[in-house]
Amino acid sequence: MTDPAKTEDEGGPIRFMPQLISLDYTVRTNPVAEAFGAALADGRITGHQCPNCHLVYAPPKGFCPICTIETTAEHEVPVADTGMVTSWTVLTPIQYTGQRERHDYALASILLEGADGTVGQQRLLEIPLDEIRLGLKVAAVWAPPNQREADDRGYGLGTAVDGWRPTGEPDAPAADYREHTL
Amino acid sequence: MRDVAIVSFAQSGSLVDIAASETQMLLPVINAAVERSGIARADIGFTCSGSADYLAGTPFAFVANLEAVGAWPPISESHVDMDGAWALYEAWVRLQHGDVDVALAFSSGISSRSDLREVLCLQNDPYYLMPLWADHISLAALQARALIDAGLATEGDFAEVVARSRRSASTNPFAQLSGDVTVESLLAEPYTAAPLRAADCPPITDGAAAVILVAGDLAREVCERPAWIRGIDHRSEAHYPGLRDLTRAGSARLAGEQAGVGTAPVEVAELSACFSHEELLLSTALGLGDDTEVNPSGGSLASNPMMVSGLIRIGEAFRQINENGRHRTLGHAASGPCLQQNLVCVLEGDS
Ligand SMILES: [Zn+2]
Repeated sequence: MTDPAKTEDEGGPIRFMPQLISLDYTVRTNPVAEAFGAALADGRITGHQCPNCHLVYAPPKGFCPICTIETTAEHEVPVADTGMVTSWTVLTPIQYTGQRERHDYALASILLEGADGTVGQQRLLEIPLDEIRLGLKVAAVWAPPNQREADDRGYGLGTAVDGWRPTGEPDAPAADYREHTL
Repeated sequence: MRDVAIVSFAQSGSLVDIAASETQMLLPVINAAVERSGIARADIGFTCSGSADYLAGTPFAFVANLEAVGAWPPISESHVDMDGAWALYEAWVRLQHGDVDVALAFSSGISSRSDLREVLCLQNDPYYLMPLWADHISLAALQARALIDAGLATEGDFAEVVARSRRSASTNPFAQLSGDVTVESLLAEPYTAAPLRAADCPPITDGAAAVILVAGDLAREVCERPAWIRGIDHRSEAHYPGLRDLTRAGSARLAGEQAGVGTAPVEVAELSACFSHEELLLSTALGLGDDTEVNPSGGSLASNPMMVSGLIRIGEAFRQINENGRHRTLGHAASGPCLQQNLVCVLEGDS
């Protein structure tokens, strides 16, 4: 509800009340996300490897959600900035106030080499939307070093990576991504 | 009704302005509750959590919190946008179905990243009170004023509650505010929202807690002194505070009656009185006399992790039976402005 005048009949009963609410929050970046962000700024993607099940989580969570044990910097492992598309969607941006996108674009889940879980909501670049497919091999297109801001909650890659471009390698076989599709 | 008992309880303690994520904060607490229960995680048949994403401003934080549970292979779980006491209530109802015997209830809250006087306005009705930004402390002050005007309490009575809470909290390692303060020194402090002073209001606390509930004989097998849930009830006032007699906690009285509080003596009552005057209202509503020790933990005035405080009250009531050998205790949880919602849980040990 942004413009009540358009929805009220002249002299009729009031049907809408615009009420904008603003809440202020303090953003705290947890130590695990902070270390991950520092590595991103440096052009490196890192993960935590669970000492029990050996799965690698990138971004790291500070724990293994399957084994429910904590992980720390000593469990940090490097993860490649290349991987494969395991799921994607094409978004058609609705032109609401504040929308910055003007054209259809694709976001994908990407399984990075050296990680056991996908990174979600990654933008696909340099490929027509109707050519995107499961198993597509991609590589990171890094943002300039001074624009690499990590997500404060430790989700995704923040603004460190502008998107992912196809590498031209043959697609990965279904067996490689079947466990990671949504 | 199936007999259901609390067999273990764990809490994070009063965390102040933590940097950890809510999930990171929860993980060791849930692990501790599960380990203390002596029950394998795989034997937990139902999990219920309580939290509010508005507090830390993290959408879907309640989903991420499940990562602290060990939710693979998939588990049966639910969430309430309420204090964890209501998660415990749902878990108790779930155990009444009879097909699962063990449940985990937990909750978490990070209050330090927002202004609660802003955020808690959102629980008001959106037409009349919300546009006024009628915050929870101001509304509590109206209730405290109503008590004074009706001759039911004085500011000195409020200060007595605070002084006792701080004193009791001295022996609670999880408390945030403790120590010896005199009524005179408390009354010399300026008002925050008259007639309430800062010490009459709860501190800002981050925290988490978890309990394990077990049905039937299994509870006695895994726990030397389980605390049986003999009565549990939740009642609510009308949403609009203006429709209520603020000098009474009517829904707390009803919940207490339905939970059977008055059918036998209560040795210890842990009450979610976030404001000093609320303890007076609740003690009256629940019919607690001099033979009942109120808030030996210091209560919510000593530590108040939002969404967790009520579950901690029940956890403390459990500890009184499990660790201190008491026989009959109660835990109370509240939600909403001016004690709008009340949950009462009566616990008993094996005689
Ligand atoms: Zn693991």
